[in-house]
Amino acid sequence: MRRDFVGWAVFLVVLATLPWLGLGGDRYLMLLANVMLMFMTLALSWDVVARTGQLSLAHGAFFGLGAYSVAIAFKLWTLPPLLGLVVAAIVGGAIAFALGIVTLRLRGIYFAIATLAFAEVWRTVALQVPDLSGGTVGIAMPPLFDGDRIASYYVIGAIFTLALALSLAVRWSRLQYAVTAVRANETVARVMGLDVVRVKVGLFTASAVLATLAGAFYMPFITHTDPFDAFDIGRSVSALVFPIFGGLYTSAGPVIGTIVMRSLEEYLRVTPPWKDGYQVVYGLVIVIAVLFMPRGLLGLAQRYAGRWPWRFSK
Amino acid sequence: MEALPQTLLFGILRSGLYALTALGLAISLGVIGVVNFAHGEFVMLGAYVGFWLYLLLSGPLGLGPAVSPLVIVIGIPLSGIALYLVAAGIYRFTLRPVLRQPELNQMLLTFGLSILLVNGTSITLGPQAKDANLDWRFDVFDLGFASVTYARLAVFVVCIALVLASYVLLQRSRLGKQMRAVAQNRLGAQIVGIHVDRVYEIAFGMSAALAAAAGVMLVFQTQVSPYLGLGTLLKAFSIVVLAGLGNLTGVLWASLLLGLAEQGVSQYVPGGSALRDGLFFVIIFAVLLARPGGLRR
Repeated sequence: MRRDFVGWAVFLVVLATLPWLGLGGDRYLMLLANVMLMFMTLALSWDVVARTGQLSLAHGAFFGLGAYSVAIAFKLWTLPPLLGLVVAAIVGGAIAFALGIVTLRLRGIYFAIATLAFAEVWRTVALQVPDLSGGTVGIAMPPLFDGDRIASYYVIGAIFTLALALSLAVRWSRLQYAVTAVRANETVARVMGLDVVRVKVGLFTASAVLATLAGAFYMPFITHTDPFDAFDIGRSVSALVFPIFGGLYTSAGPVIGTIVMRSLEEYLRVTPPWKDGYQVVYGLVIVIAVLFMPRGLLGLAQRYAGRWPWRFSK
Repeated sequence: MEALPQTLLFGILRSGLYALTALGLAISLGVIGVVNFAHGEFVMLGAYVGFWLYLLLSGPLGLGPAVSPLVIVIGIPLSGIALYLVAAGIYRFTLRPVLRQPELNQMLLTFGLSILLVNGTSITLGPQAKDANLDWRFDVFDLGFASVTYARLAVFVVCIALVLASYVLLQRSRLGKQMRAVAQNRLGAQIVGIHVDRVYEIAFGMSAALAAAAGVMLVFQTQVSPYLGLGTLLKAFSIVVLAGLGNLTGVLWASLLLGLAEQGVSQYVPGGSALRDGLFFVIIFAVLLARPGGLRR
């Protein structure tokens, strides 16, 4: 644990100095860095729910809810975006708690189905209240820090650090045993005296708050969204495919997975045959990962670590 | 209230397609115990078979008025067999290896397959929605109190016929009894000598074949696009949840309820045609809140 802690501290310091190591001058690279941190947050938060054995397809919806919360708060009360983040976190947390209480008492199948239904209903809801949401036209707000991408990098960096802290806290605390027990066998976990529902609802709520925050950052960063963009199912797909590719149930996996897969996406989405269906790669990655590399890239790395000339720490 | 008989009629007609789609989903869930997130994509692939057949029959072959019945008569067996084979392959090479793994992995696998099929179709066949101008979509049948297109009637009759035929198969045939036995108790079925793995494969293939048939009939109702699977799947989920997971006979009544509710909402609630699209959500959450086991238990 101590060595991991040092590793993560170094990683965060490198992240913090990145804009001063030549990255800050390039507007495209800074955009990419912002987006990467945003998706890492989403991926880390999804993974925390997966550790309890639950498939959440709602993380994209919480992202969209975060975006709309900030935009609506600005529209109604001209609330600055940084305060909007707080509002969004409260909204996301409350909704996630209610969703969790209803669905997490039941079998995992119900949770997966319910989160998919939840993810798909918000578009209809947003289109139903055009006065608040702007309808199909969408909703806009002024850019964060007048479009200064270095400043916004630190905002999303702080949100990412929170997500990383949650992920590592679960791993390093007694919760690690709780989530592993719940994932392995819920009945046995319950017999051992574990409050299974509380663990699942608690972690789902915390995780959803972080997904909401990522969306709440996205809104003033991009400055415009509409129901089809905000509640795009593709974001729920990203949230799960990045951790799966990098390595489930770890903190490094979602981070590495996001860097690799999101870079690939940057290329595929502008290259003709893939353009409209670049997510075919995501589908393929999920299937291959589930069948042949259940621990993702990290698992592969660990398996072959012994044959490498240098030691590979997790 | 003049429109009431018409609303009821349209609601009932609507439910046929839903029942056929949901029955396939309920079979794979009930017998194998796996949530198939790719079920909507099986419907979508069936719809492309139907659409391709329409192009072939009306274009190069120029069969004119015979096209609509031929799409049904040829399309359903053709797409059924094709999707049966696809699903059997998917079962053997991807699903079977994860059956002993945690539920999360199984759900991730079918969800991954769903994304693969949607985007693979979008890349190969194009992302645009396509419309089949089958003449049955425009010919109207007058019932006195309401007039209905031939297409709506045909969709209902064919779908319900297939659903009832499946029920008979499940109730009477040796295979059907084996499927129900496996659904009730996997271990018990194994002990009395049922080849569980083979039953799984056939059940999964059958569920895909039913989805494909639903897809062919869908060509008579709406546009065909790579993205039609998700909406279809969610409605089927709401029916399966309402009937109680794995309850096969409940599917018929649950579909009827969804069909009537949708028609009622779009008829009597102002702005209802948009709200109709959110009904699946209302149903799923109402059931989860009130009776998580489904209505009949």
